[in-house]
Amino acid sequence: MSTVKKTKASRTTHVRTVRTFKRFTLGQRWEHAILFLCLTVLLLTGLPQKYRAATWSQAILATPERVELLQTIHHIAAIVLGVIVLYHLGIIIVQLSRRSLPGDMLPTWKDVQDAWHMLQHLLYIKKDKPKFGKYNFEQKVTYWFVFFAIGILGISGVITWFPEFFTRFLPGGVVPAAKLAHSTEAVTLAIFIFIWHFYHVHLERLNLSIFTGTLNEEDMTSYHQLEYKRILGKAEPGDKQE
Amino acid sequence: MRSSRINIFFLLLIPALLIGVGLVFYLPSSASAAALQQDATPTPDPLTIGNDVCLSCHELPGQTMQLDNDDVIDLTVYSNEFSASIHGKQGYACVQCHRTVGNYPHPAVTFANAREFAIEMNKACGTCHEPQVLLTQDSVHAQAFISGKREAAVCTDCHGSHNVEQWTDSETGELLQTARLRIPQTCANCHNDIYQKYSDSVHGAALYDENNTDVPTCIDCHGVHNIENPTTAAFRLASPQICAKCHTDSAIMQKYGLSTEVLDTYVADFHGTTVTVFEKQSPDAETNKPVCYDCHGIHDIKRTDNPTYGIHLQQNLLVRCQTCHPGATANFPTAWLSHYIPSTDNNALVYYVNLFYKFFIPGVLVPMALLVALDVGHTLYRKSRGKFGKHAAEEHVPEQPTIEAESAPAATPTESAQAQSPVQPTVEAKGTPETLPTDSTKAKIPEQVTPEEPPSPPPADTPPPAPSEEHKADEEASHE
Repeated sequence: MSTVKKTKASRTTHVRTVRTFKRFTLGQRWEHAILFLCLTVLLLTGLPQKYRAATWSQAILATPERVELLQTIHHIAAIVLGVIVLYHLGIIIVQLSRRSLPGDMLPTWKDVQDAWHMLQHLLYIKKDKPKFGKYNFEQKVTYWFVFFAIGILGISGVITWFPEFFTRFLPGGVVPAAKLAHSTEAVTLAIFIFIWHFYHVHLERLNLSIFTGTLNEEDMTSYHQLEYKRILGKAEPGDKQE
Repeated sequence: MRSSRINIFFLLLIPALLIGVGLVFYLPSSASAAALQQDATPTPDPLTIGNDVCLSCHELPGQTMQLDNDDVIDLTVYSNEFSASIHGKQGYACVQCHRTVGNYPHPAVTFANAREFAIEMNKACGTCHEPQVLLTQDSVHAQAFISGKREAAVCTDCHGSHNVEQWTDSETGELLQTARLRIPQTCANCHNDIYQKYSDSVHGAALYDENNTDVPTCIDCHGVHNIENPTTAAFRLASPQICAKCHTDSAIMQKYGLSTEVLDTYVADFHGTTVTVFEKQSPDAETNKPVCYDCHGIHDIKRTDNPTYGIHLQQNLLVRCQTCHPGATANFPTAWLSHYIPSTDNNALVYYVNLFYKFFIPGVLVPMALLVALDVGHTLYRKSRGKFGKHAAEEHVPEQPTIEAESAPAATPTESAQAQSPVQPTVEAKGTPETLPTDSTKAKIPEQVTPEEPPSPPPADTPPPAPSEEHKADEEASHE
């Protein structure tokens, strides 16, 4: 799992050794990149449609042609995102059928304990931080929040897109409900990503492992100690494993 | 001699008679010549010719005038009709409108047909009513007229000529209630099909069956003199505001138990939001998004609970939906919120979704924001204490004594930094020789090599100290 790279850090003869640990597969990195792109496009084309009463939105939506264009872009991005979601779910199903699903991302009781521990730490009650495995509770919250948000957005979006079809077997009330849920959930997700995800990967520390695929040893030992030990086979009896 | 004197007398008498007869004929002929001279110019002062002069001839029945195309114009004026008109009541003279007729005999008139004659006569209206005439220049009638439709309405087609009615209150300028009843019938002179639809509509029926003048007549939607072309995209986009004039007026709506929120709920729903944007941003844009009349009807607006046509009944509304949504089926109309604000009674699903998010958004995002804020605060706190570093948490934080933990929250970051940092480095640098070298290579900040309690041994479940990890990594690197 760990690879060692020798790099010349500078023009001096100093040789610095950086050991990196594989964290994400190439497929997962592409998934994230496309997800990121799609959500950005969907947000940018969706927000003006949600806030039609606002002046800035009306300046964007000025003509029927523009509204149609925005909706077309929104739909295309939604289709691409839908493909990514199906790919993601497909991989999970394949892994489940082979009994090879890693399960790192599944929520456990330890996550609740970690979150409680972290809260105590942040309130200066406990000095130490909880020790995390491959994914800490913050990252799991991120994953599952986005997971369910995309589920809600996908279902409500498709209902809003094809109201004639869905009202053949659903009451008509689902259409305005879906429309409301879609736009509200989207804004919720956007705020969530901005305050939660962006903080943890940019401000707390710059974590680009989803793009590079690897974490260096320092980050592994600082933030994913249990995973680090597991990889190196150094897990100790006292360590809580997931 | 005597006979010669008589002859001279007669000789003188004949010229005298001739002169006398000449004088008799001369005087009247000079008077009529003066009158003919007046005819040559327009009537100089209209009021000098009284209406009784005109009526002395024109009140007689059966007077007609034949035009070039054999159109026959009735020239009879009924004095009681004129005196009942607003002009007659206020004592206006015939010649104030008929400015070119002059005295009798009138100058000859040549018009291609009766319509051209009427159009020519209408030019007189602007003399007194210039503002109204100017307004009509912008109207759909004027546009049609310019494009060659000579039958497009001119003043007298709506107002009448000798029988012109009083339609507004002379003091307030407001439309008289009696006039409201007359307006649709006036428009019906040309637009009879629409009049028939209107008189069957909820508005028209109330006007004619109940003499209810709260309801709109033609001019309330279409305007009076500057009647806009109602078939344009601009009219369509602006039309919800026309309906809203009355339907957001609580004084009127209260009488009939109607909601004044129809415009707001329309604007809040998908169709209305888009129409409102276009109305503001591109008023001439063509859009298929429905406006009020696409569902409620244009002139044939019915009560929504009308059993045959009322769109409160889903099957009636469905027909309207299918105009734009051909695939719509029985459930589809309920997708429209029917101008209701979602509540437990109406559109309950929307109400509950809204309620859910009212709690969900603050319930989830506020705690998250708080956690992030706490984390930021904590980071700043550690930084100020000189404990911020990549290994700070791993190496030293677990070993903090409890005394430190209790005192720390009380002290603000700046205070604790000032109070503690100057003392510690000297003390602890001595006591930690084994951790010092690795740390100092990684970071040159002196505070980073200062654990508070160096002698205390690390607890069993803490990770192995960084140096051994580093050495292991180095070893692996060197093996390669």
